[in-house]
Amino acid sequence: MDSAPTSLDPVRASTLYANQLVVNLYDTLYAYKYLQRPYKLRPNLAAAMPKISPDGLTYSIPVKKGVYFADDPAFPGGKGRELTAGDFVYSLKRHFDPSTRPGGAWLWQGRIVGLDEWKQAGSDYSQEVPGLRAIDSHLVQLTLQRPYPQLVDTLALGFSGVVPREAVEYYGREFSINPVGSGPFRLVSYDSSRAVLVPQENYRREPVDLEYEGYDPVTQSRYGVALIDGRIPPFVDRLEVNFIKEGSARWSSFTKSNEIQYAGLPNEQVERVLASIDPVTLKPEYAEKYHMKTALEAGFVYSTFNMDFPEFGYNDNPERARRNHALRCAMIRGFDWESRNESWYSGIGEVFPGIIPPVVPEFDPGLARDSVTYDPEGARALLAEHGWNAESLPVLTYGTTPGPTSRLFFEQFRAWMMRIGYPKDKIILKTYATFGDIVKAWRNSELPFISKGWGLDYPDAENTLQLFYGPNASPGSNDGNYRNPEYDELYRRAGVMLPSPERTELYRRMNQMMIDDCVAITGLSRVGITLWHRNVIALPDRNFVGGRFMYYVDVLEPGAPELEALR
Amino acid sequence: MSARADTVGAHGDSLWSKAFRKFRHDRVGMWSLAVVLAYAIVALGVVLGVWATDWAEVSGPKWSPASVEYWFGTNIIGQDIFARSLYSTRTAFEVGLLVALGATALGALLGAIAGFFSGTWIDELIIWVMGVLDSVPFILLVAAIAYTLQGSPWAMHIAMISTFWIGTARLIRGEVIKLKSLEYVEAAQAIGVNRLMIIFRHILPNTFHILLVQATLSFVAAIKSEVILSFLGLGVKDGMSWGLMISESTFEVLAGFFNNFLAASVLMFGLVMAFNMFSDALQDALDPRTVK
Repeated sequence: MDSAPTSLDPVRASTLYANQLVVNLYDTLYAYKYLQRPYKLRPNLAAAMPKISPDGLTYSIPVKKGVYFADDPAFPGGKGRELTAGDFVYSLKRHFDPSTRPGGAWLWQGRIVGLDEWKQAGSDYSQEVPGLRAIDSHLVQLTLQRPYPQLVDTLALGFSGVVPREAVEYYGREFSINPVGSGPFRLVSYDSSRAVLVPQENYRREPVDLEYEGYDPVTQSRYGVALIDGRIPPFVDRLEVNFIKEGSARWSSFTKSNEIQYAGLPNEQVERVLASIDPVTLKPEYAEKYHMKTALEAGFVYSTFNMDFPEFGYNDNPERARRNHALRCAMIRGFDWESRNESWYSGIGEVFPGIIPPVVPEFDPGLARDSVTYDPEGARALLAEHGWNAESLPVLTYGTTPGPTSRLFFEQFRAWMMRIGYPKDKIILKTYATFGDIVKAWRNSELPFISKGWGLDYPDAENTLQLFYGPNASPGSNDGNYRNPEYDELYRRAGVMLPSPERTELYRRMNQMMIDDCVAITGLSRVGITLWHRNVIALPDRNFVGGRFMYYVDVLEPGAPELEALR
Repeated sequence: MSARADTVGAHGDSLWSKAFRKFRHDRVGMWSLAVVLAYAIVALGVVLGVWATDWAEVSGPKWSPASVEYWFGTNIIGQDIFARSLYSTRTAFEVGLLVALGATALGALLGAIAGFFSGTWIDELIIWVMGVLDSVPFILLVAAIAYTLQGSPWAMHIAMISTFWIGTARLIRGEVIKLKSLEYVEAAQAIGVNRLMIIFRHILPNTFHILLVQATLSFVAAIKSEVILSFLGLGVKDGMSWGLMISESTFEVLAGFFNNFLAASVLMFGLVMAFNMFSDALQDALDPRTVK
């Protein structure tokens, strides 16, 4: 993985990296089927899909019996006890307990009856929440304030991993690095360079049903995943997850030995490894050794202005607010997405306007592309028209993390802004020591401009539209602190609707509002090229299945007869 | 009595004029000085805005090879590597000069005070401070200073000055201990000249040949350290340097593109080599034992 998670506590599984480990250490009620595309949910810790009341407000979820937490000193006698519905209730409540410093409360905020009030009353775990109850030891009931069609998707995220209260209290603050879950693996060591996991002895024995998991022989047989059908995972004796920040180092480790067995193809290796880019094919010497899969990411990279900064965003002076709008629009026009794609994503990323990425069904391929069309002349004219010049343009602090890539991203952005008239010394680089530090700065609304990537938590554009929903402002996921009452109203209306043309229409209207208000420079969905050794039986996924694919990984001896049969 | 009494040679020439004459006859020294001056002119041209003004601009395609338009090619985002190399020369001189001046001045000051008051608590205190700073690994010290200064562009300079002065101070301390026992200093003390006056007016000027050599050594060390620190992300914050270029080249080299790496390495090698040779020649020229 690119980076080490700062915490393995599900309440803080905000990053892709944390989520990849958390879903292997903890159980979630639901999960996405391993092989089915488009993605489809299936019960995981739950015994069945939820029973939903006709009004869409009450979800009854049966929890599997005979599920045990991993053995740990936190339990009496060190023996893991059975997981119950109460554990799920406790785990979800933790997201509304400020002392846990949660990162995923926004998923359920204003959704579950009584949960926000429980938080306001001091997060007392002895107090019941009317909308979040364990009806008996193996039945959870969730009652919603209004319909929430994405609820079940949220219960497949690492955020909803079920933790035992004993372990949280036993380890205290150290719980974040001493995970105790009921997931398929348990942690044996963890530091800034590597996490080592081994199969969890108490994990339930459920054979793989490939057909149920959505196996498609036409597209997936070449990866050998049929070999795991009917067998009981996990298949590996030991899972080592190396945290290697630099793509080139990961690549060296991947190619030079058997240190790591799957890796993304770094940008700088594209010409050396690929025979063609469209379509993506490997050169024969690499195809001989590795499997490859390309996938459009379920997410995108974008930059947003922090609207709470009066220099760029909202301003009490209407004239200045109008000029700020023009300034933001000009900067958007001055951003050269095609060059960014070419420089950093081999030109195969997909540039799109707005915040509904191509991977979701609500994506509008016919949307006007003005906001992603590079137009430095237009940008300069717009600035001049609104009285902006080198003296009056505000100082922009650009936050980043150390490293040559981050720095070149900054330099590229600064060069484009210089082309539209921004003085070089008015775009200032501020380097944060770690990714965690810059995330903290975003949450505390310390930066006027935020460049980041967003990975969708579930395949629904609601998950990206919430990035600009007013009540999600900092420290929530709306880092740009965009507050548009009309947008918020549409978001609330769409939030209770099941997928339908009407809902898609609302989504697209919100998307257009965000574009018209020039809030963000967006966006580009990257195409991930993943390679893995031919003796590894797997179908890696960085989207919704995420780290859960590791549960199904098997490693055969190189040259095993089964492998030869695949060729 | 003269503050420079001991620097006058047997033939009536000063140590400086003899050293100058000797240096002029040192071909390696003169060539290295010419190279250093050439670099200095490049750096001055950047400061005056004569060239490399477009170092931050994106003007060409990704990873363009060397051509008439882009002499050293372009980097991954299409920046002109030649312009960035020239700009980095300015950074090298800026860091080198500031650190050399700062470290030499501080080393001279504290070394002279320690030497003059040798055997007293002042001397012990300064020696203790030197020992403490010497015992902290350089990179850790820079990281600590950088953290304390919260991303200040001067963190690297301050960190270097706070360690580089020690070598100079030790040498100056020894020299001052030697000088203070000379008759002219004893005479000055006897007629009641202020101690600070004795240190700065009568003793320190006689250590100038040591300071000059130390400054050139600090200059080279600062350039090398800057490259290492910038490579590690602890150095230059906003600007361009050979260290940053080498840092950029880490992923480019794997793609088979060596321009950034070669440009920065060769230019840095040239300056460091020339300055080292210049420093050696200067040391030889100023060494009283070899000045005849």
